[in-house]
Amino acid sequence: MIAVEQLTKEFADLQRGSVVALDGATFQVQPGEVFGLLGPNGAGKTTCLRILSTVLKPTSGRAVVAGYDVAEHPERVRNNIGFMSSNTGLYDRMTAWELVEYYGRLYGMPEGPLQERLETIFETLQMNDFRDLLSSKMSTGMKQKVSIARTIVHDPPVLIFDEPTSGLDVLVARAVLKTIESLKEQGKCIIFSTHIMREVERLCDRVAIIHRGRILDMGGLTELSQRHQQPDMEELFFHLIDRHDSESDLIAATP
Amino acid sequence: MRWNNVRLILLREVRDQLRDRRTLFMVAVLPIMLYPLLGLAMAQMMSSFNEQTRTVLVLGAAELPGPPLIEGDRFITDYFDDPADAEKLRVLTEESIATVDDEALQDFATEALQMRPLIEELAEITETIDDARETAGEAASLTALEKREAELRALIGDWFNRGPVQVLIVVPDGFREQFDAVNRRLARDDSQEEIPELPHPIVLENGAVDTSAIAFRRVQQALRRWEKKLLEDRLEQAQLPPSIHTPFDATDVNLAEEDQIAASVWSKLFPTLLIIMSVTGAFYPAIDVGAGEKERGTMETLLICPATRTEIVAGKFLTVMLFSLTTALLNLLSMGFTGKYMLQMSTASAFSQFGSFSFPPLSALLWLGVLSIPISALFSALSLAFAMFAKSSKEGQYYLTPLLIVTIGITVFCLNPAVEISPYFSVMPVMGPALLLKALLLGSTSPVRLSIYFLPVLVSSFLYSAMALWWAIELFRSEDVLFRGAERFDLRSWIRHLARDKESTPNFSEAGFCFVLILLLQFAFQSKIQADFAKATAADAMSKLFDTQMIYLIVTVATPALMMAVMLTTSVRKTLKLYWPSASMLAAGCVLPFFLLPLSFELGQFLNRTFFPELPAGVAEVFRSLGDAEVSVWMALATFALTPAICEELAFRGFILSGMEHSGRRWLPIILSSCAFGIVHMVAQQVFNAMLLGLVLGLLAVRSRSLLPGVLFHLLYNGTQVVLTRVDPAPFAGGWREHLFTVQAVGEDTVLRYDPLLLVICAVVAVPILAWLVSTHDGDDSPSAREKRLRIEPAEPAAMAPDAAS
Repeated sequence: MIAVEQLTKEFADLQRGSVVALDGATFQVQPGEVFGLLGPNGAGKTTCLRILSTVLKPTSGRAVVAGYDVAEHPERVRNNIGFMSSNTGLYDRMTAWELVEYYGRLYGMPEGPLQERLETIFETLQMNDFRDLLSSKMSTGMKQKVSIARTIVHDPPVLIFDEPTSGLDVLVARAVLKTIESLKEQGKCIIFSTHIMREVERLCDRVAIIHRGRILDMGGLTELSQRHQQPDMEELFFHLIDRHDSESDLIAATP
Repeated sequence: MRWNNVRLILLREVRDQLRDRRTLFMVAVLPIMLYPLLGLAMAQMMSSFNEQTRTVLVLGAAELPGPPLIEGDRFITDYFDDPADAEKLRVLTEESIATVDDEALQDFATEALQMRPLIEELAEITETIDDARETAGEAASLTALEKREAELRALIGDWFNRGPVQVLIVVPDGFREQFDAVNRRLARDDSQEEIPELPHPIVLENGAVDTSAIAFRRVQQALRRWEKKLLEDRLEQAQLPPSIHTPFDATDVNLAEEDQIAASVWSKLFPTLLIIMSVTGAFYPAIDVGAGEKERGTMETLLICPATRTEIVAGKFLTVMLFSLTTALLNLLSMGFTGKYMLQMSTASAFSQFGSFSFPPLSALLWLGVLSIPISALFSALSLAFAMFAKSSKEGQYYLTPLLIVTIGITVFCLNPAVEISPYFSVMPVMGPALLLKALLLGSTSPVRLSIYFLPVLVSSFLYSAMALWWAIELFRSEDVLFRGAERFDLRSWIRHLARDKESTPNFSEAGFCFVLILLLQFAFQSKIQADFAKATAADAMSKLFDTQMIYLIVTVATPALMMAVMLTTSVRKTLKLYWPSASMLAAGCVLPFFLLPLSFELGQFLNRTFFPELPAGVAEVFRSLGDAEVSVWMALATFALTPAICEELAFRGFILSGMEHSGRRWLPIILSSCAFGIVHMVAQQVFNAMLLGLVLGLLAVRSRSLLPGVLFHLLYNGTQVVLTRVDPAPFAGGWREHLFTVQAVGEDTVLRYDPLLLVICAVVAVPILAWLVSTHDGDDSPSAREKRLRIEPAEPAAMAPDAAS
């Protein structure tokens, strides 16, 4: 469903010259699987997910999502994914129902099935209390539910979550994670980025640890802890990052 | 593009804007309320201003001859056009001032009596100086008098400006006596006796102070009427008909009808308001749907839905345009009705000529509606481009001022009654619709004659809007623009970035900066060049002019390009394309000018007749001087062929084109560099010509990856023009050649014209060469191919002259 090969993205930066935000990332994600991208802030997670959602174009490398190349058929890719992040805002002057309906229409859903789908989603996400409330009047939890509804309104086979729980209180975060779990049960192909270990442990089948644009290691949770003899996920994470930093320092120091 | 998506986005944006109280207020409430309130405020201010009474002091009122001028503390009402004006002047004399309970006025009167000799002296000196100036030659002897005049002026001005009186009249002693004596003398009709000259009364005012100037105008009116009355009395005493002072009295028949006067007012107000309100009406919604969306974080949400970037921009553009149109038309409506109402209400004499003040005819109003569409389309697309570029609403607001200032400049230009619609103006942005609208509302030219402009105005406006919209879409596609972070700007790190991240060729913005620098340098040199143009008629100044022209090109065009190439790039050679071209490219550069020159010349001649405004006198003079025998042909060639060929090619095909090529696109660099090349030529005809040649030159430079073919083309093209002004065209017209050339007499000169057959031959040769140039590329314009093109270094061919010389 998602296949990424040697994906690289460079940015021009005034302070530091050219910056490699993503450096040769390669991975695959299967349907019914939750793949986690774990890394500190600025590691390249958002860049990677933005390339997968066709908002950014890769400098080099290839990414195929739901059977379409992101560089060649960006519109087809966008039709087959749902994307949600802490950055994806809602229109203040639209109600919950209007907003989800609007996106449903943009995804080209016919009017009849769209209304049915909306009813189902509003029912399952328990959003009927505030279906006619303007976004500007909603609480963070309500907004997050609307965001999820928007992401899944067209029932896409691939879902991309970029730090969906950042900035949320525990209750709302838990609801978001629960939704992702149920989406996984429906056989969706899910890619999920975070810097919170617990979320990875709870949700992910496989995880890639990413730091300074590079994937340091990748695999199932048990597989990773066996390979590095670190039973604790958090320790494993710091172990990998430390090792990488000292290696690159060493390279930089060698003349 | 799927229209369904555009419609969805449009509907959402409109609903969003309508739910915003601020937008509604700006678009609908403000214009409806603003004009009536403004009218009310203006009416109040006007009335309070008018009611102020000004004070006039008359010294020696008793000496006034003939029928009375003053009655009580007013001038006699009969002496004013509007009897009410008499009430606005309070007239005091030495006698009546004693009864006034105002110490300041009484003090002023006492001082005035002391100042009187000085005032009389000043009046006398002023008169002497004026007389002397009329008879030239005596000016030298006036220095002493002028010094005294300045002294008196300062002294009296100082005292007068502080005083409570706006106009002071000084009547000379014994004036009545002498005046009556003249009258009696004239009545006796004794033509032997000389008529003595009367002393002049003095009216003292300060024209720089509004209150004094207004009072003076009223006093003047009263005095003139009164003087006329005196003259009639005098004529009567001499038993002459009173009409003798007007030998004939021309009757003024004004054909202007009431609605024409109204039309002239509307023709100025409506286009102005339409343009300015289209800008403001477009700008605020544009900022909200562009920068505002980025700021609120909803942009990313929209970017990941299946709508393409073009569809998103199209939807937003239509939204902005809808609001721009609504704002503009509501403003026009509100202002129209308020204006009409106020003028009808006003009973003041100044407005009585307007009569019923009717609205323009329905057909003109319909055109107003039609032409408001291209105007608002252009501004909507421009505003949207600015809004897409801005990363926050705050940054977006900053771009309004420059846009508005440029627009107001254009509007003020169009308001000038001397500026009328012409073929040239009809294709200028904003000016075309504005001037056409002005002509239609004025109604003095029949719509049938104006109809030839409809198509050019609408088509050119549509093209400009499409270009602006394309720019907005380009910006919206750019990752840099969409995800511009709030980077802290630090001058030092920016300079370090320029020095550190140098590439082999300049980037797009560096090329743009180079162009702006050239324009600024040219502006700075403008006054010097113009002074030289003014002197250009004198034969000895010609060679001097040629020198300055060369220096001008080197300083303003070549220097910035060379300096920037050295400082901002790692490879001057690659930037300025200092490589040997292939032989075929060289040949194309040598052959093309001879075949393009006749075509471009005849096209220019045709457009001069039909399209362009006349050449400014100085420029035309310089063109004529090219054929002037006083200047050697080598000098002319060096100035108008060699120097431009090298300097302009270095700048426009060297630095600027290389920088534009950095965008990786194939046609855009050629088009933009040719536009830049055109714009620096200032005069409309040359701008057009240079743009066309710039396309060919750019094509040559890009395809050959070398500057040399362009330099050769430029040199031969300009050189041929110079040489043609020197040779006698007569031999061209003889024998078989007469099918190709015609010698045309223009004033004293003869000009070589090209016949259709020759033009066809030229086209037959030139078009295949151009087609070959266009077709010699790698054919792929996808982003990845662009990237590749950028990275390909040209194979290291043998170096050109600079290296060979060393």
